[in-house]
This record gives sequence, C-alpha cells and structure tokens, in this order.
Amino acid sequence: MPAETKKLRVEIRPRPAREDPPWVRRLAIAATLAIVALLIVIPVVNVFSEALADGIGAYWANLTRDDDTLHAIKLTFTVLPFALVLNVLFGVAAAYAISRFEFPGRAVLTALIDLPFSVSPVVTGLMFVLIFGLQGYLGPALRDDGHALLAYPVALLLVAVLAVAYAIVRPRNRRARRGLWKLHPALVVAGGGAAVFALAVAAQRALGVWPSGKSLEVIFAVPGLILVTSFVTAPFVARELIPVMDAIGPEEELAAVSLGASGWQMFWHVTLPNVKWGLVYGVILCTARAMGEFGAAYVVSGHIAGQTDTMPLRIEKLFQEYNLPGSFAVASLLTLVALATLVVKARLGREQARRAKGTP
Amino acid sequence: MTISVSHVVKRFGDFLALDDVSLEVPDGALLALLGPSGCGKTTLLRIIAGLEVADAGRVLHHAEDVTHDAAQDRNVGFVFQHYALFRHMTIADNIGYGLRVRGVGDRERAARVDELLHLIRLDGHGDRYPSQLSGGQRQRVALARALAARPRVLLLDEPFGALDAKVRQELRRWLRRLHEEIHVTSVFVTHDQEEAFEVADRVVVMNRGRIEQAGTPADVFEQPANAFVMDFLGNVNRLPGRGETVFVRPHEMKIARERGGDGSLAATIVHVNPTGPMVKVQLRAVDHDALIDVEVPAESFAELALAHGDTVHVSPRRVRVFADAAS
Repeated sequence: MPAETKKLRVEIRPRPAREDPPWVRRLAIAATLAIVALLIVIPVVNVFSEALADGIGAYWANLTRDDDTLHAIKLTFTVLPFALVLNVLFGVAAAYAISRFEFPGRAVLTALIDLPFSVSPVVTGLMFVLIFGLQGYLGPALRDDGHALLAYPVALLLVAVLAVAYAIVRPRNRRARRGLWKLHPALVVAGGGAAVFALAVAAQRALGVWPSGKSLEVIFAVPGLILVTSFVTAPFVARELIPVMDAIGPEEELAAVSLGASGWQMFWHVTLPNVKWGLVYGVILCTARAMGEFGAAYVVSGHIAGQTDTMPLRIEKLFQEYNLPGSFAVASLLTLVALATLVVKARLGREQARRAKGTP
Repeated sequence: MTISVSHVVKRFGDFLALDDVSLEVPDGALLALLGPSGCGKTTLLRIIAGLEVADAGRVLHHAEDVTHDAAQDRNVGFVFQHYALFRHMTIADNIGYGLRVRGVGDRERAARVDELLHLIRLDGHGDRYPSQLSGGQRQRVALARALAARPRVLLLDEPFGALDAKVRQELRRWLRRLHEEIHVTSVFVTHDQEEAFEVADRVVVMNRGRIEQAGTPADVFEQPANAFVMDFLGNVNRLPGRGETVFVRPHEMKIARERGGDGSLAATIVHVNPTGPMVKVQLRAVDHDALIDVEVPAESFAELALAHGDTVHVSPRRVRVFADAAS
C-alpha cells in the first residue's frame, strides 16, 4: 500500500466518541479468550481425545459391547420423550395463560415456573422420594396395591381429554346450541367429569385392567426418572415462549377471531406458527438438560446398573471403576448432543434474524 | 345494516371506560368515533366487534341482539391500528383467512383473493409476506382481509394512525371511495378531527366515556353542543365577554387598524405565520394578558400591511357561549 494512502486512511478514520483505549480492548479480549480456552475448549477437546485414546475401534466397543452402557443409553432415550411431551404441553399452556390472561396469582405462577431451576436437583430427587418412596406419603399404598391405583390417573386423563374435546366441539353460537349443549359449561365439566371419572374407574376395575395387590415401583424405577426429569426441565419451554408471546401480542389472535376462527383454529393457525421457533428452541434446551440430568436422577434411580442407570449415572460409575475410556466414550456422546444443540441454536437464531428482516 | 348500541357501560377496574353510551349507526353509513385518547372510543368499537364484553347494555346488529355472541359469529370485519397481519402467512393467505375458516373451497377462495388484491391495487403481490410490504400496503391488505368474507359491518381502529402524513392522506381518500363502491356500514375510530371530517359522513365526538355530540360533520363543526366539542374540533379563542366566556374560532375574527364597535379588543401582534392561504397571526391582548389567534386571508393581510409588534384591533364576527364553560 502506498504510504500516502495509508496516511490518508489514518487521518479519516473516525474515532468513536466512546471508544476505549486499545490496551483495554486487547486486555478484555485476551482475558475472555484465555478463560474460554481454559474452561471450555480444552476440557471439551479432552473428552474426545480421551474417548478416542485407544482408537476408534475401542471407542465403538466401549459404547456397544457393554450391556450396562447400552442399557443406560436406551433408558436415557426412553425417559426423554416423556419429559419432552409433558414439558411441551405444560410450557405452551402456561405461557399462553401467563401472556394472554390477567388472573389473580399470575405473578406467583410466573415465579413458580422458575422454581425447578433454583432448587438443587438433589433436593428435587429427595422431594420425590418423600412422596413416592417406601417411607413417603404414597409409599405404603403404592407398595400394597400400586397397579390398581393406576386406574385413577388413567381416568383423570380421560376426563381431561374429554373436557378438551367438549370445548372444541361445543357450538359457539348460542342459537346453534340445542338440547344438552345448552347446559352451562361449568356444570357439564364438573358433573360430566365426575361421572366419567367414576365410570372409568369402575370399568377398569370390572375389566381387571390392572392387577390388584401388585406393588408399583416409582422410586428406584423408570417412572421416578421420568418424574424428576420432567420436573427439572419444566421451565424450559415456558421460559422460551412467554417472552415470545408477550412480544407478538394478542392482536393477530384477535384478528383471527374477528375473521371467524374458533379458539382451536386460532391456536393452530396463528398462535402456534408464531411461536414455533421459540418452541423448537425450548425443546432443544430441554433435550440437552433432560439427557444430562444427574443429581435428581441419582437420588431417585438407586443407581442400579442395567436397570436404572441413565447415561450421566453410567459415566460416573465407569469413572469410579477406573474404566476411563468407557467413561469418556459415554461422556463424548453427551458432549456431542450439547454441541449439536449449540449449532442448531445458532442456526435458529440466524433464521429468526433473517425472518425478522423480512425474507421468510 | 344498522348497528345500535344502547346504554353500554364498561369498567376496567376502577376506570369507567364507557358511561351509559347509546349510539345508532344507520345502514350504509361511514361513521367516525372521534375523541382524545382514553375517551372510550376504541373500547366502544371493540364491544361492537365482540372483542370486548360490555358490563351492561345491549348491542344490536340490525334487529338482532348480539350482546352475548362471540366475535367469531358476528360477521364483522375489524381493521387494527397496527394491521395485525398474520406474519407467517402470505398476503393471499392473509386475505383468504376468513374464507378458509368458513370452509370455502380453494378455487372460490383464490378467485375472491384475486378480486380483493385488485381492489387494493396489489395485483401480483399475493405470494409476498407482510414484512415485505410498506405500511400503507399492509393496511390495505388488512382492509382486504377484513372485507373478504363480506362482513355486515366494517370496523376500523385508528386505521391510519401508524402511517406517515402523505400515505395517510392517500388512504383516507381511498377509503372514502371504497365506501362509496361497496357501501358496507362502517365505523372508524380516530383522534384526528381533520381525518374524521374528511372521511366520515357522520361524526360522533366522545369524551371521558360519554358521547358529547353526534351529527354530520357540518352540524358538529358549525353547531358544537358544548365547550369540549368546540375546543376539540379546532383552534379556539376564549375571550372574556359580559360575565361569561365567549368562544371564537380564529377564522371568525377580523383585524382592523381602527378601533371597531362593541367587542373590539386592542392587541399587539407577537407572531406571524404566513404559510398557506390563511395567514395565522398571534396577538397579545393589551388589557388582559391573553393570547389570541386570528386567521386572515392573505390579501387582507397584505392590504393592512401588518407586521410584528403592531398594535391593532381585533373583533369577533361570530361568538359562541356555552352554559358549561365555567373554565
């Protein structure tokens, strides 16, 4: 570059009014890089290098030849879908309620949603042991006749499904309502719900759906893992959706309603498509957290190899047994999930920015 | 279709948004609800649409009581101030949405969408997304979407409020013409009196949850029912009369070099704005410290050779007195 041009460049380069001196910038950048390298990059790279220390063949054998490890991987992927479905249902319902309605206790509910984040996972595990464990409130009942008790939650689920179906099918227009449709909805849900519940329980008993006198294991079994994992990850979807729904506001939904859409149509045509990226994002974070949950799973699982060990628990056990390559092999899987989460998250962020600019 | 609202009351907590409001909108009218912000005009519009439920009173569409009908069943077209277009749908899907939820077939829907795209002069824009359009275009799409299912009533909430002055002007004329073509009973909310007078054939002035006056633009402007309406509909001078305050519009005053008859006031010119066909002169009364606005035609301004600092005599050509004007 000719000296003249260079000189000119220096002269016209605008110096922002609030620019920090160069040494401050350099120091800040260097410190950040050093911390990221020391605390993040080196350990992550180390996981993979340890896992692959004996070659790719040994790595593969570590993952697939050990029955307990295989079982742990399967168990993790069994628990995950339950936690995801529960959290999506809960998250969407909670976010919609909080961002669209004014009701007493709204602020309390908003704060409560965050509770699973602030409670230590070990405490979460203990909470569930205290409810469902042998010495817990429901313990004796579950031990004596646990399977028969399942008739109640199943009946409740049926009532919930029917209540939603009633809300969807009920004619909106007063003039179109005839016969039983004219009954007040609160009366129908309360009366009909109680009747359906009683009938469903009786029917399950009569048909012998659930064996009696058989104990139901929640703690030290898969149901307990599903419960704690769902609890620990509960805030993710709702946390993502509340700000998105707040930012979008209710106007598009009102527009849909004024154009003749039912509440159900409004939800599927307008509400859900508008928050879908937030939802996907919440599901991704929830997946990563659900797979990595250790503390609460440790307490409720009983840590039984080949039965209740999930991937993080298996890693710890292999590590305690000085099987470092095995331990790091499983760890590398979880790390891969985390990295994939990051990549998808970054892509979604870019996608959203692109859409916001107006080229969907 | 006529709309009638009778004795509607609406509260939000302690705030009385609508205080026993009754209103008739004749069939085919284009009516403006005009008032300052917080006067209840938008709440009234939303109650007519069914987006808000009145605490008391009734809403009738034609002779049919729709007070307890859901918004979905009222068959109204509602246009929101910030358009509220479905951001993830194309323009065509937006316009066709009212037909889609009514189960209208694809072919018929596409035909109606094309017809409306033509009406709003956006032919060929059907596959774009709302974010790719300008504000004025979006508002026209919102209007087309509201009209697609042939609503019995068209309701518009500050439809031009978010647009810049030039586009606003254009859209007002366009709305006026559109209304002449399709003649659907329409109500629109605005806080801009100029907009109300330019677009509507009936104007309803609201204040603090009540209707102050309803009538044609000429009625309301020429015979304001009270001091609020007089004040709200344009610039007004309050001058001391014999024991009461008199109201005079700036264009209803004249300026003379010589002292006129009764009611003439001596005042000093403090500011002159010569832009436009009327020259706006601001004066300060000599006896009492009040500012007076006067608009004089440019010719007489030149004839009188008025200048800043001159002391002249102003007299009202037409005065109004209101019983409620204690202030």
